[in-house]
Amino acid sequence: MGLAIRDGSVDADGFRIRYQEAGEGPPVVHLHGAHGLGMTSAHELLSRSFRLIAFEMPGFGATENQKTQRVQDLATTMAAAAEALGLSRFNLIGTSFGGWVASWMAVQRSDLVAALVLDAPSIIRPEGSEPVSGSPEQIARRLYAHPERTPPTPVIEPAMAARRLTLVRRLSGPARDTPLEEGLRRLQIPTLVMFGTQDGVIPAEMGRVYKELIPDAHLVFVYDAGHALMVERPEAFTEVVTDFLERTDAFIISRTKTVVFP
Amino acid sequence: MKVSYFETGRYQPPADTPAIWPMPAAAYDTGEGVRVFRGMIERIALAEKLGFDWVSLSEHHYSPRILTPSPAVAAAYVAARVHTIKIALLGPIVSHSNPVRIAEEMAMLDTIADGRLVVGLLRGTPNETLTYDLNPQESRERTDEGMELILKAWTEPQPFAWQGRHFRYRTVSVWPRPLQQPHPPTFALGTSREAGAFAARNRIGLGVSYGPFEVMGKVTAYYREQCAQRGWEPGPDQIIFRANIVLTETDAQAQRAMERYPTRAPFSLAEGVASALSALDTRNIAGEARPASINRALPINFFGGPDTVVDQFRRCREAIGAGVIDLGFNTPGTTDPDALLDALDLFGRTVLPRIRHM
Repeated sequence: MGLAIRDGSVDADGFRIRYQEAGEGPPVVHLHGAHGLGMTSAHELLSRSFRLIAFEMPGFGATENQKTQRVQDLATTMAAAAEALGLSRFNLIGTSFGGWVASWMAVQRSDLVAALVLDAPSIIRPEGSEPVSGSPEQIARRLYAHPERTPPTPVIEPAMAARRLTLVRRLSGPARDTPLEEGLRRLQIPTLVMFGTQDGVIPAEMGRVYKELIPDAHLVFVYDAGHALMVERPEAFTEVVTDFLERTDAFIISRTKTVVFP
Repeated sequence: MKVSYFETGRYQPPADTPAIWPMPAAAYDTGEGVRVFRGMIERIALAEKLGFDWVSLSEHHYSPRILTPSPAVAAAYVAARVHTIKIALLGPIVSHSNPVRIAEEMAMLDTIADGRLVVGLLRGTPNETLTYDLNPQESRERTDEGMELILKAWTEPQPFAWQGRHFRYRTVSVWPRPLQQPHPPTFALGTSREAGAFAARNRIGLGVSYGPFEVMGKVTAYYREQCAQRGWEPGPDQIIFRANIVLTETDAQAQRAMERYPTRAPFSLAEGVASALSALDTRNIAGEARPASINRALPINFFGGPDTVVDQFRRCREAIGAGVIDLGFNTPGTTDPDALLDALDLFGRTVLPRIRHM
């Protein structure tokens, strides 16, 4: 990967928060899923058009987070982190659990968020659904439609994996976050909701609930992809996200050229 | 003058349906849909009985306004159930379709319908570029090339390759061929310079729609002029004017109905999309630039009691010179499904016999 990553950290809301940054252009903040911060080809592709800042949310890295009790509090922390970096308005992408945090941030701080991308968000989950855990092979089978085509999932130190799982379980309440849903109904931010058609963690059918809730939402199905869209279909993911962040609602107007010969 | 009844597949959405395009499929009522297609045959059979010459169908998508996204399917259904009226597809949207597929389907339909098919080919309204992800900046060129390819596919007796700008085929050889040879009566539909020039160049008809009589008269004058330059003169049957009509027993009733006619399109694009689209979608009337019509309700061209309407037809005939009038019947302010049958019946009794000779 030819990605020039700049590592950094910022103090916000009583935490030291690590981030990785790449690219130049309009700022895009990315909040990772329950498996923590990891740069993918999709990050590299996005960094060609944007200044991409991928935060590591407190408790998902090397140190424990006992303080945060609710997803909305984590959203407050992450908004403070973005502001501490001098960002006053940015695009926000949230992946899976990060989509939950991103949604709360958009609801609480609509002044900060220009456009919102919810990548396989886990706000609304089937009853009894469990966070993804287990061996790298078990995780890959749940995250990807085609584990055999996907680079091996890095082995995570068991203690760190256990800490993340505990944190996600503590923050995740019931299968529906009613106060957040109330906020989403009034959200005035253009929002892109994405699901892989083969998502084995959150069924793609959950997408329609967001479409019904959020006034200015667009729903995208990414064909033949599982839960980890950025890993499994990075080009497909980046093309539609870039187009949406550049044009918001008008992204439904095709710019594809069909000239075969001039 | 020939008269055509424009069948839209009238679907009555409940009053609380959001007025947006695209309309969520969740709003669709399957029972109402069944009634639409049953009613379609009832209305067309009545139009046939009343002496209408054509029934026309058109292609629109993703909303209840016109329930025939595939006009070819609707035409096959109609062809099997009504037996003398001509069936005019006005028409398939060429810009977002596979032109060879259109040539094949129209040839099939003409054969199924015993040579009763009329074909109009068009670019489509601005919102339709969103339907199948068509670049609005390419829709004009794709339409022109596609129309030419359709005519070629109908008329070239030997398999051929097409090395186009937007379309490329290594071999084309359409079966069946149309029953009407060399092809069914065909019209370029549109008010643009390009549509007029294309129709003149290919010796086909021109269909214009909805504009004021004088403006549409300019368009048909441009077409005739182009035809004359190419050494031919179109007959009256080669010009169609599609228009909206509100016909009532008296002028006063029509006036009251018009007060209930909306000014905004019943299903509108979001503002951000509409403005972005109008910046990309350029249109003209006989060469004069005009903004793309987005989110505006279509005008009513004929309205009043029978005498008034007959007068309007006379003025229309003089201004536009169209020998075929294709009429969309409107019944503003009522959701009664039979209102449309009543409007058709009134037209057939009180207006149709008086405009035939025009």
